[in-house]
Amino acid sequence: MSKTSTIYFQYIKNYYRSRSFFLMLFLILIIGFMMSYFSVKYVNDLPKFLGGSVFPSSIKVEVFYYLWTLVLLYVPVFASVFFGSPAISSEIENKTAYYIFPLPINRYKLFFGKYFAAFTVTLFIIGLYMVFELVTLTYLLGTIPVTYFLSSFLMLILFILSIMAVTFLISAIFNKNTYAYITVFVIYYIVFEAGAFIIELLYKYTPVYFLNEAGSIIERVYININPGNAFVSHVDINPAPFSDIVLSGMIMIIYTVVALVIGMLLFDRKEVS
Amino acid sequence: MMEIYMDGLTKNYGKIHALDSINLKIEGHGCTGLLGPNGAGKTTMLKLATNIIKPSKGKVELNSVDVSVYPERALENVGALIEQPEFYSYLTGYEILEFTAKIKGLTKGEFASEIKRLGDLTEINSFLDRKTGSYSRGMKQRLALSVAMLGNPEIIILDEPTFGLDPKGMVDIRNIIKSLAKDHLVLLSTHLIYEARELCDRTIIINRGKIEYDSAMAPERDLIKITAENNINISGDKIRDYTRNGNVFIIEKNGKVNNADIIAELMEQGLRIDYVEKYDNLEDIYVSVINGKITDNISS
Repeated sequence: MSKTSTIYFQYIKNYYRSRSFFLMLFLILIIGFMMSYFSVKYVNDLPKFLGGSVFPSSIKVEVFYYLWTLVLLYVPVFASVFFGSPAISSEIENKTAYYIFPLPINRYKLFFGKYFAAFTVTLFIIGLYMVFELVTLTYLLGTIPVTYFLSSFLMLILFILSIMAVTFLISAIFNKNTYAYITVFVIYYIVFEAGAFIIELLYKYTPVYFLNEAGSIIERVYININPGNAFVSHVDINPAPFSDIVLSGMIMIIYTVVALVIGMLLFDRKEVS
Repeated sequence: MMEIYMDGLTKNYGKIHALDSINLKIEGHGCTGLLGPNGAGKTTMLKLATNIIKPSKGKVELNSVDVSVYPERALENVGALIEQPEFYSYLTGYEILEFTAKIKGLTKGEFASEIKRLGDLTEINSFLDRKTGSYSRGMKQRLALSVAMLGNPEIIILDEPTFGLDPKGMVDIRNIIKSLAKDHLVLLSTHLIYEARELCDRTIIINRGKIEYDSAMAPERDLIKITAENNINISGDKIRDYTRNGNVFIIEKNGKVNNADIIAELMEQGLRIDYVEKYDNLEDIYVSVINGKITDNISS
């Protein structure tokens, strides 16, 4: 077994025994049950605030999958904060670096082993939610839009990889978990979310190169409406075009690669002093 | 091959010189002790040797491999206990050792025999199946020592290994270090002079980031301490020099002379001797170094 995979399995073990994991598990189960409950309740009578009067009944399947996927824009961010924010900073703050750094292993193997472990645990949590989604919607609607679902899932994986990479980069900058937690929240919800909101408000333009905007493709593969675009008047109830999917995918890949490279370089130079 | 080599090793934190152009070579088995006051640079030196921090200038080579450039290869035959390490709190002691063994490349069979050896040696068997988050300071220190010794590495680097232990724990760890020094290169940092005296074959005193004394460069003088009933002036071919404080004489031998010959000569001169012991002058040297009195033994 390679050293990277040894690190990977070890950190998976550490993650799934952690309080963060059980908290996320609890949250996702609550959300899954609530979504199932509301789906059963509103399957034939979607309320107006959820677009009941806008969407034609012919796209009912896409609408429900779209609404379920809305949650997936936020769960990866929370999971990244829980699993990714302290990933590097905790080694310094908790003094585990004194144990792990003198071991005969290159730091980039340590970094990537941890990264993929955090990714796997996040994917597992989100996978549970998707089981709720598939079971509930297959039971209620009797069909799965396979192509859209797979496209959405592929984009979701890219979104998790990219948000986790950005989180690892931030974690590699700090020596305190709290700073890493706060910074991830600030970057995602102030810089990205509020930034996109202000740009749309002022310029009626969607900054597609923001990670949150690129990530919105995971639901736009069903219906091309970004719920965050409050000031962009264009509403398209068709699925996002292929070119949008490719563009969003590319943006998320670029975020992933750049954040991982910088994060890894920072981690390689990290000192415990 | 067992060798630690430091060449112009320097570590600066802003304007503070934590370590200043250290040149040092330690080879072969035995225990080398780093002595010095708090903040002298002992731990900084060990952190640089174990890739926990990077040098501002210079390098550390372990068995001829640069630690900063090739950490994985340099550290593959090294065990280290630096400061008071913590472990992943959701893992048991056994899982920590198992993980360490995989990183060090041990087979399952080798790990099984190592667990048995280290379990007996460091007395960790009784709490190996507990999560490390519930360990006391002493338990963590014993586990950390086991991690350092796992796989029987040639070079063992220990930073104040008896810190935080109860008296029995201290004695146990010192006995382990004594035994290790017989066939390993042990680099030990301590601020306890008696610990260095008891354990180390070579003593290096660091102060303000520099090596101020190295027993390998200036072997300690062969001294005996005589407590007498009376107080007279003494002399003779076998005595190079002596100091007297009341009835206590510190005598430096003139070459390789038996204690019995010196005692006989002194008794002939009329000295009524009560007690004779080897005089260890490490404490005096340490105080002199820290006070800045010894300056001609800087390692170069």
